Amino acid sequence: MEQFVQQLVNGLMIGSTYAVVALGFGLMFSVMRVVNLAHPEVFMVGAYVAFVVVTGLNVHGQGLGMLAAVGLFVVVLGVAMVATGVVGLILERLVIRPTRGTYILTPFIATSGVSIVLQNGAQRIFGPDPVRIPSVIPAHTFAISGVLVTSMQLTTVLTAVVIMLALRYYVHHTRWGRATRAVAEKPDVAAACGVNVNLVSQLTVGIASVMAGAAGVALGLLYNSAAPFMGLLFGLKSFICMLVAGNRHIEAIMAVGLLLGLVEAIVTGYISSNLRDAVAFALLLAVLFFRPQGLFGSYDV
Amino acid sequence: MSVLLQVAGLEVTYGPVRAVKGVDLELPKGEIRAILGANGAGKSSIIRAIMGLVKPRGGTITFANTTIHRLPPHAVNRLGIAWVPEGRQIFSTLTVQENLLMGAFGGRQAEERPVRQEQIMEMFPILKTRREQFAGSLSGGEQQMLAIGRALMSSPELLLMDEPSLGLAPKVVQYLFALIREIRARGISILMAEQNARQALRVADYAYLLEVGEIRGGGPASEMEASEQVRRVYLGG
Repeated sequence: MEQFVQQLVNGLMIGSTYAVVALGFGLMFSVMRVVNLAHPEVFMVGAYVAFVVVTGLNVHGQGLGMLAAVGLFVVVLGVAMVATGVVGLILERLVIRPTRGTYILTPFIATSGVSIVLQNGAQRIFGPDPVRIPSVIPAHTFAISGVLVTSMQLTTVLTAVVIMLALRYYVHHTRWGRATRAVAEKPDVAAACGVNVNLVSQLTVGIASVMAGAAGVALGLLYNSAAPFMGLLFGLKSFICMLVAGNRHIEAIMAVGLLLGLVEAIVTGYISSNLRDAVAFALLLAVLFFRPQGLFGSYDV
Repeated sequence: MSVLLQVAGLEVTYGPVRAVKGVDLELPKGEIRAILGANGAGKSSIIRAIMGLVKPRGGTITFANTTIHRLPPHAVNRLGIAWVPEGRQIFSTLTVQENLLMGAFGGRQAEERPVRQEQIMEMFPILKTRREQFAGSLSGGEQQMLAIGRALMSSPELLLMDEPSLGLAPKVVQYLFALIREIRARGISILMAEQNARQALRVADYAYLLEVGEIRGGGPASEMEASEQVRRVYLGG
Protein backbone atom coordinates (compact mmCIF):
# COMPACT_ATOMS: atom_id res chain seq x y z
CA MET A 1 0.00 0.00 0.00
CA GLU A 2 2.75 2.36 0.91
CA GLN A 3 4.47 1.63 -2.33
CA PHE A 4 1.25 2.36 -4.18
CA VAL A 5 0.87 5.73 -2.54
CA GLN A 6 4.52 6.42 -3.26
CA GLN A 7 3.93 5.70 -6.93
CA LEU A 8 0.87 7.92 -6.86
CA VAL A 9 2.87 10.79 -5.49
CA ASN A 10 5.65 10.31 -8.04
CA GLY A 11 3.02 10.11 -10.74
CA LEU A 12 1.24 13.28 -9.68
CA MET A 13 4.50 15.10 -9.73
CA ILE A 14 5.44 14.24 -13.29
CA GLY A 15 1.78 14.46 -14.29
CA SER A 16 1.60 18.04 -13.13
CA THR A 17 4.37 18.97 -15.54
CA TYR A 18 2.67 17.13 -18.40
CA ALA A 19 -0.43 19.14 -17.50
CA VAL A 20 1.38 22.47 -17.65
CA VAL A 21 2.81 21.84 -21.12
CA ALA A 22 -0.46 20.30 -22.33
CA LEU A 23 -2.33 23.38 -21.16
CA GLY A 24 -0.09 25.49 -23.36
CA PHE A 25 -0.90 23.33 -26.37
CA GLY A 26 -4.56 23.47 -25.49
CA LEU A 27 -4.63 27.24 -25.13
CA MET A 28 -3.03 27.81 -28.48
CA PHE A 29 -5.22 25.30 -30.22
CA SER A 30 -8.52 26.50 -28.81
CA VAL A 31 -7.78 30.20 -29.18
CA MET A 32 -6.03 30.15 -32.52
CA ARG A 33 -6.78 26.72 -34.00
CA VAL A 34 -3.02 26.35 -34.26
CA VAL A 35 -0.90 23.34 -33.38
CA ASN A 36 2.39 24.86 -32.27
CA LEU A 37 4.99 22.19 -32.81
CA ALA A 38 7.72 24.42 -31.45
CA HIS A 39 6.08 24.39 -28.01
CA PRO A 40 8.08 21.39 -26.70
CA GLU A 41 11.26 23.16 -27.77
CA VAL A 42 10.25 26.20 -25.76
CA PHE A 43 10.10 23.79 -22.83
CA MET A 44 13.63 22.70 -23.74
CA VAL A 45 14.78 26.32 -23.93
CA GLY A 46 13.49 26.80 -20.39
CA ALA A 47 15.68 23.97 -19.17
CA TYR A 48 18.74 25.35 -20.95
CA VAL A 49 18.15 28.82 -19.56
CA ALA A 50 18.15 27.23 -16.12
CA PHE A 51 21.45 25.56 -17.02
CA VAL A 52 22.99 28.84 -18.16
CA VAL A 53 21.79 30.81 -15.15
CA VAL A 54 22.73 28.24 -12.54
CA THR A 55 26.18 27.50 -13.96
CA GLY A 56 26.69 31.17 -14.70
CA LEU A 57 25.93 32.20 -11.17
CA ASN A 58 28.15 29.42 -9.95
CA VAL A 59 26.11 28.73 -6.86
CA HIS A 60 25.55 25.31 -5.54
CA GLY A 61 22.33 24.32 -3.91
CA GLN A 62 23.99 22.25 -1.23
CA GLY A 63 25.69 25.25 0.28
CA LEU A 64 22.59 27.42 0.53
CA GLY A 65 20.02 27.76 3.24
CA MET A 66 16.48 26.79 2.23
CA LEU A 67 15.29 30.38 1.89
CA ALA A 68 18.20 31.42 -0.30
CA ALA A 69 17.75 28.29 -2.38
CA VAL A 70 14.09 29.04 -2.96
CA GLY A 71 15.05 32.59 -3.84
CA LEU A 72 17.56 31.31 -6.36
CA PHE A 73 14.96 28.97 -7.81
CA VAL A 74 12.55 31.86 -8.23
CA VAL A 75 15.23 33.90 -9.96
CA VAL A 76 16.07 31.07 -12.34
CA LEU A 77 12.37 30.54 -13.00
CA GLY A 78 11.85 34.23 -13.60
CA VAL A 79 14.69 34.55 -16.08
CA ALA A 80 13.58 31.43 -17.94
CA MET A 81 9.98 32.60 -18.06
CA VAL A 82 10.98 35.96 -19.47
CA ALA A 83 13.24 34.31 -22.04
CA THR A 84 10.66 31.78 -23.15
CA GLY A 85 7.96 34.44 -23.12
CA VAL A 86 10.01 36.48 -25.56
CA VAL A 87 10.63 33.41 -27.71
CA GLY A 88 6.89 32.82 -27.75
CA LEU A 89 6.06 36.38 -28.74
CA ILE A 90 8.60 36.30 -31.57
CA LEU A 91 7.26 32.93 -32.67
CA GLU A 92 3.71 34.28 -32.76
CA ARG A 93 4.56 37.42 -34.66
CA LEU A 94 6.96 35.97 -37.21
CA VAL A 95 5.81 32.42 -37.71
CA ILE A 96 2.29 31.80 -36.44
CA ARG A 97 0.48 34.98 -37.39
CA PRO A 98 1.53 34.99 -41.05
CA THR A 99 0.67 31.31 -41.44
CA ARG A 100 -2.56 31.27 -39.49
CA GLY A 101 -5.65 31.06 -41.61
CA THR A 102 -7.91 28.56 -43.18
CA TYR A 103 -5.47 25.71 -43.68
CA ILE A 104 -4.60 24.09 -40.40
CA LEU A 105 -1.42 22.42 -41.64
CA THR A 106 0.48 25.58 -42.54
CA PRO A 107 1.35 26.76 -39.01
CA PHE A 108 1.87 23.10 -38.11
CA ILE A 109 4.62 22.83 -40.73
CA ALA A 110 6.04 26.26 -40.05
CA THR A 111 6.35 25.68 -36.31
CA SER A 112 7.85 22.25 -36.85
CA GLY A 113 10.53 24.02 -38.86
CA VAL A 114 11.15 26.30 -35.90
CA SER A 115 11.40 23.32 -33.58
CA ILE A 116 14.10 21.80 -35.79
CA VAL A 117 15.98 25.09 -35.74
CA LEU A 118 15.77 25.26 -31.95
CA GLN A 119 16.85 21.66 -31.49
CA ASN A 120 19.83 22.07 -33.77
CA GLY A 121 20.63 25.42 -32.23
CA ALA A 122 20.77 23.84 -28.81
CA GLN A 123 22.92 21.04 -30.18
CA ARG A 124 25.38 23.43 -31.72
CA ILE A 125 25.61 25.72 -28.71
CA PHE A 126 25.60 23.17 -25.93
CA GLY A 127 26.62 19.96 -27.65
CA PRO A 128 24.50 16.90 -28.45
CA ASP A 129 24.94 15.30 -25.05
CA PRO A 130 22.86 16.22 -22.02
CA VAL A 131 24.39 18.92 -19.87
CA ARG A 132 24.40 18.70 -16.13
CA ILE A 133 22.49 21.28 -14.19
CA PRO A 134 23.62 21.58 -10.59
CA SER A 135 20.88 21.38 -8.01
CA VAL A 136 19.40 24.58 -6.75
CA ILE A 137 17.19 23.26 -4.00
CA PRO A 138 19.28 21.40 -1.41
CA ALA A 139 18.53 17.71 -1.47
CA HIS A 140 16.26 16.86 1.39
CA THR A 141 13.91 14.02 1.64
CA PHE A 142 10.71 14.48 3.55
CA ALA A 143 8.76 11.57 4.85
CA ILE A 144 5.06 12.35 4.91
CA SER A 145 3.18 9.44 6.45
CA GLY A 146 5.52 6.90 5.01
CA VAL A 147 5.80 8.47 1.59
CA LEU A 148 9.15 9.88 0.53
CA VAL A 149 9.24 13.16 -1.30
CA THR A 150 12.35 15.09 -2.18
CA SER A 151 12.48 18.84 -1.86
CA MET A 152 12.90 19.27 -5.62
CA GLN A 153 9.90 17.05 -6.28
CA LEU A 154 7.89 19.21 -3.93
CA THR A 155 9.15 22.35 -5.63
CA THR A 156 8.14 20.96 -9.01
CA VAL A 157 4.62 20.17 -7.92
CA LEU A 158 4.19 23.49 -6.16
CA THR A 159 5.41 25.37 -9.23
CA ALA A 160 3.04 23.46 -11.48
CA VAL A 161 0.10 23.94 -9.14
CA VAL A 162 0.72 27.66 -8.79
CA ILE A 163 0.92 28.01 -12.57
CA MET A 164 -2.28 26.07 -13.11
CA LEU A 165 -4.15 28.05 -10.49
CA ALA A 166 -2.90 31.30 -11.97
CA LEU A 167 -4.00 30.23 -15.43
CA ARG A 168 -7.40 29.22 -14.20
CA TYR A 169 -7.81 32.54 -12.44
CA TYR A 170 -6.76 34.40 -15.55
CA VAL A 171 -9.15 32.51 -17.82
CA HIS A 172 -12.20 32.68 -15.58
CA HIS A 173 -11.84 35.88 -13.59
CA THR A 174 -10.12 38.49 -15.70
CA ARG A 175 -11.25 40.68 -18.56
CA TRP A 176 -8.60 39.37 -20.95
CA GLY A 177 -9.23 35.81 -19.89
CA ARG A 178 -12.88 36.29 -20.75
CA ALA A 179 -11.89 37.78 -24.09
CA THR A 180 -9.64 34.75 -24.65
CA ARG A 181 -12.55 32.39 -24.08
CA ALA A 182 -14.71 34.45 -26.40
CA VAL A 183 -12.09 34.39 -29.15
CA ALA A 184 -11.71 30.63 -28.69
CA GLU A 185 -15.40 30.19 -29.34
CA LYS A 186 -16.24 32.82 -31.94
CA PRO A 187 -13.37 35.04 -33.05
CA ASP A 188 -15.45 37.17 -35.44
CA VAL A 189 -18.04 38.00 -32.83
CA ALA A 190 -15.34 38.71 -30.26
CA ALA A 191 -13.63 41.06 -32.70
CA ALA A 192 -16.92 42.88 -33.25
CA CYS A 193 -17.19 43.32 -29.48
CA GLY A 194 -13.97 45.31 -29.52
CA VAL A 195 -11.45 42.54 -28.92
CA ASN A 196 -8.15 42.86 -30.77
CA VAL A 197 -7.85 39.24 -31.80
CA ASN A 198 -4.21 39.56 -32.84
CA LEU A 199 -3.36 40.85 -29.39
CA VAL A 200 -5.19 37.99 -27.73
CA SER A 201 -3.29 35.54 -29.93
CA GLN A 202 0.02 37.07 -28.93
CA LEU A 203 -0.96 36.98 -25.28
CA THR A 204 -2.00 33.38 -25.59
CA VAL A 205 1.24 32.19 -27.18
CA GLY A 206 3.17 34.27 -24.66
CA ILE A 207 1.36 32.67 -21.74
CA ALA A 208 1.70 29.16 -23.15
CA SER A 209 5.41 29.70 -23.74
CA VAL A 210 6.02 31.08 -20.28
CA MET A 211 4.30 28.02 -18.83
CA ALA A 212 6.38 25.66 -20.96
CA GLY A 213 9.52 27.48 -19.90
CA ALA A 214 8.64 27.05 -16.25
CA ALA A 215 7.98 23.35 -16.76
CA GLY A 216 11.36 23.08 -18.48
CA VAL A 217 13.11 24.69 -15.52
CA ALA A 218 11.34 22.43 -13.06
CA LEU A 219 12.15 19.26 -14.95
CA GLY A 220 15.66 20.37 -15.75
CA LEU A 221 16.38 20.92 -12.08
CA LEU A 222 14.54 17.79 -11.05
CA TYR A 223 16.63 15.53 -13.25
CA ASN A 224 19.67 17.80 -13.16
CA SER A 225 19.99 17.77 -16.91
CA ALA A 226 19.02 19.45 -20.14
CA ALA A 227 19.32 17.92 -23.58
CA PRO A 228 18.56 19.23 -27.06
CA PHE A 229 15.88 16.65 -27.75
CA MET A 230 14.29 16.54 -24.33
CA GLY A 231 11.20 18.21 -25.68
CA LEU A 232 10.38 15.49 -28.15
CA LEU A 233 8.97 12.70 -26.04
CA PHE A 234 7.67 14.95 -23.31
CA GLY A 235 6.01 17.23 -25.85
CA LEU A 236 4.42 14.37 -27.70
CA LYS A 237 2.88 12.99 -24.53
CA SER A 238 1.64 16.41 -23.46
CA PHE A 239 0.17 16.98 -26.89
CA ILE A 240 -1.72 13.73 -26.77
CA CYS A 241 -2.94 14.68 -23.29
CA MET A 242 -4.47 17.75 -24.83
CA LEU A 243 -6.14 15.70 -27.54
CA VAL A 244 -7.48 13.22 -25.06
CA ALA A 245 -8.85 15.92 -22.78
CA GLY A 246 -10.63 17.86 -25.48
CA ASN A 247 -10.37 21.63 -25.62
CA ARG A 248 -13.55 22.65 -23.88
CA HIS A 249 -12.33 22.86 -20.30
CA ILE A 250 -8.84 23.61 -19.09
CA GLU A 251 -9.56 21.57 -15.97
CA ALA A 252 -9.91 18.54 -18.26
CA ILE A 253 -6.41 19.02 -19.61
CA MET A 254 -5.07 19.33 -16.07
CA ALA A 255 -6.83 16.13 -15.09
CA VAL A 256 -5.59 14.13 -18.07
CA GLY A 257 -2.01 15.31 -17.54
CA LEU A 258 -2.12 14.17 -13.93
CA LEU A 259 -3.76 10.92 -14.94
CA LEU A 260 -1.03 10.19 -17.45
CA GLY A 261 1.58 10.79 -14.79
CA LEU A 262 -0.22 8.39 -12.48
CA VAL A 263 -0.53 5.72 -15.13
CA GLU A 264 3.15 5.98 -15.96
CA ALA A 265 4.16 5.77 -12.33
CA ILE A 266 2.03 2.72 -11.74
CA VAL A 267 3.32 0.97 -14.84
CA THR A 268 6.90 1.80 -13.90
CA GLY A 269 6.41 0.67 -10.34
CA TYR A 270 4.38 -2.45 -10.88
CA ILE A 271 5.07 -3.69 -14.36
CA SER A 272 8.24 -2.49 -15.95
CA SER A 273 9.82 0.86 -16.60
CA ASN A 274 10.51 -0.23 -20.17
CA LEU A 275 6.83 -0.56 -20.84
CA ARG A 276 6.02 2.82 -19.38
CA ASP A 277 5.89 4.77 -22.61
CA ALA A 278 4.29 1.99 -24.59
CA VAL A 279 1.43 1.62 -22.14
CA ALA A 280 0.97 5.36 -21.90
CA PHE A 281 0.70 5.81 -25.64
CA ALA A 282 -1.50 2.75 -26.05
CA LEU A 283 -3.98 4.09 -23.51
CA LEU A 284 -4.01 7.55 -24.99
CA LEU A 285 -4.52 6.22 -28.48
CA ALA A 286 -7.28 3.93 -27.25
CA VAL A 287 -9.16 6.87 -25.80
CA LEU A 288 -8.78 8.84 -29.00
CA PHE A 289 -9.96 5.88 -31.03
CA PHE A 290 -13.17 5.51 -29.10
CA ARG A 291 -13.80 9.15 -28.37
CA PRO A 292 -12.08 11.38 -30.90
CA GLN A 293 -13.57 14.53 -29.47
CA GLY A 294 -11.66 13.88 -26.29
CA LEU A 295 -12.85 12.66 -22.90
CA PHE A 296 -14.49 15.92 -22.04
CA GLY A 297 -15.61 17.22 -25.39
CA SER A 298 -14.33 19.97 -27.63
CA TYR A 299 -15.55 22.75 -29.89
CA ASP A 300 -14.49 21.01 -33.04
CA VAL A 301 -12.16 18.18 -33.90
CA MET B 1 -30.80 65.13 -40.64
CA SER B 2 -27.09 64.34 -40.83
CA VAL B 3 -25.90 61.18 -42.50
CA LEU B 4 -24.33 58.81 -40.01
CA LEU B 5 -23.29 56.02 -42.33
CA GLN B 6 -22.45 56.27 -46.00
CA VAL B 7 -21.72 53.33 -48.25
CA ALA B 8 -20.63 54.08 -51.80
CA GLY B 9 -19.86 51.68 -54.64
CA LEU B 10 -19.36 48.74 -52.29
CA GLU B 11 -17.90 45.64 -53.92
CA VAL B 12 -17.54 42.45 -51.93
CA THR B 13 -16.15 39.33 -53.52
CA TYR B 14 -15.43 35.89 -52.17
CA GLY B 15 -12.92 34.50 -54.61
CA PRO B 16 -14.61 34.52 -58.01
CA VAL B 17 -18.05 35.22 -56.57
CA ARG B 18 -19.26 38.82 -56.59
CA ALA B 19 -21.59 38.99 -53.63
CA VAL B 20 -22.04 42.75 -53.55
CA LYS B 21 -21.85 44.78 -56.75
CA GLY B 22 -21.58 48.54 -56.53
CA VAL B 23 -23.98 49.13 -53.63
CA ASP B 24 -24.77 52.67 -52.49
CA LEU B 25 -26.71 53.29 -49.33
CA GLU B 26 -26.85 55.71 -46.46
CA LEU B 27 -28.26 55.91 -42.99
CA PRO B 28 -29.22 59.28 -41.55
CA LYS B 29 -28.81 59.70 -37.84
CA GLY B 30 -31.80 58.55 -35.85
CA GLU B 31 -33.36 56.43 -38.58
CA ILE B 32 -34.09 52.76 -38.96
CA ARG B 33 -33.32 51.53 -42.46
CA ALA B 34 -33.83 48.04 -43.74
CA ILE B 35 -32.08 46.09 -46.48
CA LEU B 36 -34.64 43.67 -47.82
CA GLY B 37 -33.71 40.69 -49.92
CA ALA B 38 -33.90 36.97 -50.31
CA ASN B 39 -31.38 34.45 -49.03
CA GLY B 40 -28.06 34.95 -50.75
CA ALA B 41 -28.86 38.42 -52.01
CA GLY B 42 -25.80 39.82 -50.28
CA LYS B 43 -27.37 41.44 -47.22
CA SER B 44 -25.01 39.81 -44.73
CA SER B 45 -22.01 40.69 -46.86
CA ILE B 46 -22.91 44.36 -46.69
CA ILE B 47 -23.32 44.19 -42.92
CA ARG B 48 -20.06 42.31 -42.50
CA ALA B 49 -18.21 44.76 -44.71
CA ILE B 50 -19.42 47.67 -42.61
CA MET B 51 -18.31 45.87 -39.47
CA GLY B 52 -14.86 45.24 -40.94
CA LEU B 53 -15.18 41.48 -40.89
CA VAL B 54 -14.65 41.27 -44.60
CA LYS B 55 -12.46 43.57 -46.65
CA PRO B 56 -14.31 45.09 -49.60
CA ARG B 57 -12.83 44.70 -53.04
CA GLY B 58 -13.92 48.23 -53.83
CA GLY B 59 -15.97 51.17 -52.68
CA THR B 60 -15.94 53.24 -49.52
CA ILE B 61 -17.67 53.12 -46.17
CA THR B 62 -17.79 56.25 -44.03
CA PHE B 63 -19.13 56.52 -40.50
CA ALA B 64 -19.46 59.86 -38.75
CA ASN B 65 -16.91 61.37 -41.14
CA THR B 66 -14.39 58.59 -40.59
CA THR B 67 -13.42 56.15 -43.32
CA ILE B 68 -13.93 52.72 -41.85
CA HIS B 69 -13.71 50.19 -44.66
CA ARG B 70 -10.03 49.48 -43.97
CA LEU B 71 -10.38 49.16 -40.23
CA PRO B 72 -10.39 45.87 -38.29
CA PRO B 73 -13.64 44.98 -36.50
CA HIS B 74 -12.46 45.95 -33.04
CA ALA B 75 -11.63 49.44 -34.26
CA VAL B 76 -15.02 49.77 -35.96
CA ASN B 77 -16.68 48.74 -32.71
CA ARG B 78 -14.73 51.30 -30.75
CA LEU B 79 -15.95 54.04 -33.07
CA GLY B 80 -19.52 53.27 -32.10
CA ILE B 81 -20.89 50.49 -34.28
CA ALA B 82 -22.24 47.30 -32.74
CA TRP B 83 -23.23 44.07 -34.44
CA VAL B 84 -26.08 41.69 -33.79
CA PRO B 85 -25.00 38.76 -35.97
CA GLU B 86 -27.21 36.48 -37.99
CA GLY B 87 -28.23 33.48 -35.92
CA ARG B 88 -27.63 35.13 -32.56
CA GLN B 89 -24.03 33.92 -32.14
CA ILE B 90 -23.89 34.38 -28.41
CA PHE B 91 -20.90 32.93 -26.57
CA SER B 92 -22.42 29.70 -25.37
CA THR B 93 -19.54 28.80 -23.05
CA LEU B 94 -19.77 32.13 -21.26
CA THR B 95 -22.51 33.07 -18.81
CA VAL B 96 -25.20 35.59 -19.66
CA GLN B 97 -23.43 38.16 -17.52
CA GLU B 98 -20.09 37.44 -19.23
CA ASN B 99 -21.70 37.80 -22.64
CA LEU B 100 -22.91 41.25 -21.69
CA LEU B 101 -19.50 42.17 -20.33
CA MET B 102 -17.95 41.10 -23.63
CA GLY B 103 -20.21 43.57 -25.39
CA ALA B 104 -18.60 46.33 -23.37
CA PHE B 105 -15.05 45.14 -24.01
CA GLY B 106 -14.32 48.00 -26.40
CA GLY B 107 -14.38 50.35 -23.46
CA ARG B 108 -16.69 53.01 -24.80
CA GLN B 109 -17.97 55.16 -21.95
CA ALA B 110 -16.50 52.71 -19.49
CA GLU B 111 -17.54 54.68 -16.41
CA GLU B 112 -21.18 54.25 -17.28
CA ARG B 113 -20.91 50.53 -17.87
CA PRO B 114 -22.53 49.30 -14.65
CA VAL B 115 -25.48 51.65 -15.15
CA ARG B 116 -25.86 50.54 -18.74
CA GLN B 117 -25.77 46.92 -17.69
CA GLU B 118 -28.59 47.52 -15.21
CA GLN B 119 -30.60 49.32 -17.87
CA ILE B 120 -30.21 46.42 -20.24
CA MET B 121 -31.21 43.96 -17.54
CA GLU B 122 -34.34 46.08 -17.01
CA MET B 123 -35.01 46.00 -20.74
CA PHE B 124 -34.63 42.24 -20.79
CA PRO B 125 -35.83 40.91 -17.43
CA ILE B 126 -35.20 37.36 -18.56
CA LEU B 127 -31.49 38.09 -18.70
CA LYS B 128 -31.55 39.26 -15.12
CA THR B 129 -32.90 35.98 -13.85
CA ARG B 130 -30.50 33.95 -15.97
CA ARG B 131 -27.44 36.07 -15.25
CA GLU B 132 -25.16 33.25 -14.10
CA GLN B 133 -26.36 30.63 -16.53
CA PHE B 134 -24.36 29.54 -19.50
CA ALA B 135 -25.71 31.34 -22.52
CA GLY B 136 -25.85 28.10 -24.46
CA SER B 137 -28.76 26.97 -22.31
CA LEU B 138 -31.03 29.86 -23.35
CA SER B 139 -33.88 29.50 -25.84
CA GLY B 140 -33.67 31.04 -29.31
CA GLY B 141 -35.66 34.10 -28.35
CA GLU B 142 -33.69 34.59 -25.15
CA GLN B 143 -30.44 34.30 -27.07
CA GLN B 144 -31.62 36.98 -29.46
CA MET B 145 -32.37 39.25 -26.51
CA LEU B 146 -28.89 38.53 -25.16
CA ALA B 147 -27.28 39.23 -28.53
CA ILE B 148 -29.04 42.57 -28.71
CA GLY B 149 -28.25 43.37 -25.09
CA ARG B 150 -24.62 42.52 -25.70
CA ALA B 151 -24.49 44.87 -28.67
CA LEU B 152 -26.11 47.66 -26.67
CA MET B 153 -23.48 47.30 -23.94
CA SER B 154 -20.98 49.19 -26.07
CA SER B 155 -23.22 52.26 -26.11
CA PRO B 156 -23.27 52.28 -29.90
CA GLU B 157 -24.46 55.04 -32.17
CA LEU B 158 -25.23 52.55 -34.90
CA LEU B 159 -26.64 49.08 -34.47
CA LEU B 160 -26.17 46.59 -37.30
CA MET B 161 -28.76 43.83 -37.17
CA ASP B 162 -28.44 40.82 -39.43
CA GLU B 163 -31.76 38.98 -39.86
CA PRO B 164 -32.92 39.52 -36.28
CA SER B 165 -36.21 37.67 -36.75
CA LEU B 166 -34.76 34.55 -38.35
CA GLY B 167 -35.80 31.36 -36.62
CA LEU B 168 -37.94 33.05 -34.00
CA ALA B 169 -41.56 32.34 -33.12
CA PRO B 170 -44.08 34.95 -34.36
CA LYS B 171 -44.86 36.19 -30.88
CA VAL B 172 -41.18 36.72 -30.16
CA VAL B 173 -40.80 38.53 -33.49
CA GLN B 174 -43.52 40.97 -32.44
CA TYR B 175 -41.74 41.63 -29.18
CA LEU B 176 -38.45 41.97 -31.02
CA PHE B 177 -39.66 44.65 -33.41
CA ALA B 178 -41.27 46.60 -30.60
CA LEU B 179 -37.88 46.45 -28.94
CA ILE B 180 -36.23 47.78 -32.07
CA ARG B 181 -38.51 50.79 -31.95
CA GLU B 182 -37.57 51.34 -28.35
CA ILE B 183 -33.88 51.19 -29.18
CA ARG B 184 -34.34 53.86 -31.83
CA ALA B 185 -36.23 55.95 -29.30
CA ARG B 186 -33.06 55.96 -27.20
CA GLY B 187 -31.20 57.65 -30.02
CA ILE B 188 -29.53 54.67 -31.66
CA SER B 189 -29.65 54.45 -35.44
CA ILE B 190 -30.31 51.00 -36.89
CA LEU B 191 -29.42 49.33 -40.15
CA MET B 192 -31.02 45.92 -40.48
CA ALA B 193 -30.88 43.18 -43.03
CA GLU B 194 -34.16 41.29 -43.12
CA GLN B 195 -35.97 38.61 -45.08
CA ASN B 196 -39.17 39.31 -43.19
CA ALA B 197 -40.20 42.32 -45.26
CA ARG B 198 -43.61 42.71 -43.68
CA GLN B 199 -42.32 43.24 -40.16
CA ALA B 200 -39.31 45.20 -41.30
CA LEU B 201 -41.41 47.70 -43.23
CA ARG B 202 -43.60 48.27 -40.20
CA VAL B 203 -40.70 49.44 -38.12
CA ALA B 204 -38.27 50.92 -40.64
CA ASP B 205 -38.31 54.48 -41.94
CA TYR B 206 -36.75 53.51 -45.26
CA ALA B 207 -35.95 50.31 -47.08
CA TYR B 208 -33.56 49.18 -49.82
CA LEU B 209 -34.30 46.23 -52.09
CA LEU B 210 -31.29 44.03 -52.69
CA GLU B 211 -31.26 41.41 -55.41
CA VAL B 212 -28.22 39.34 -56.38
CA GLY B 213 -25.82 41.88 -54.92
CA GLU B 214 -27.38 44.99 -56.44
CA ILE B 215 -29.74 47.62 -55.07
CA ARG B 216 -32.83 47.36 -57.27
CA GLY B 217 -34.92 49.96 -55.54
CA GLY B 218 -35.53 51.84 -52.35
CA GLY B 219 -37.72 54.38 -50.67
CA PRO B 220 -39.63 55.36 -47.57
CA ALA B 221 -41.21 52.35 -45.91
CA SER B 222 -44.78 53.47 -46.54
CA GLU B 223 -44.08 53.81 -50.26
CA MET B 224 -42.44 50.40 -50.34
CA GLU B 225 -45.39 48.79 -48.62
CA ALA B 226 -47.71 50.32 -51.14
CA SER B 227 -45.58 49.50 -54.18
CA GLU B 228 -46.94 46.87 -56.50
CA GLN B 229 -43.53 45.36 -57.19
CA VAL B 230 -42.68 45.02 -53.53
CA ARG B 231 -46.01 43.50 -52.68
CA ARG B 232 -45.59 40.89 -55.33
CA VAL B 233 -41.98 39.92 -54.70
CA TYR B 234 -41.56 40.44 -50.98
CA LEU B 235 -44.93 40.50 -49.36
CA GLY B 236 -46.60 37.66 -51.21
CA GLY B 237 -49.12 39.75 -53.15
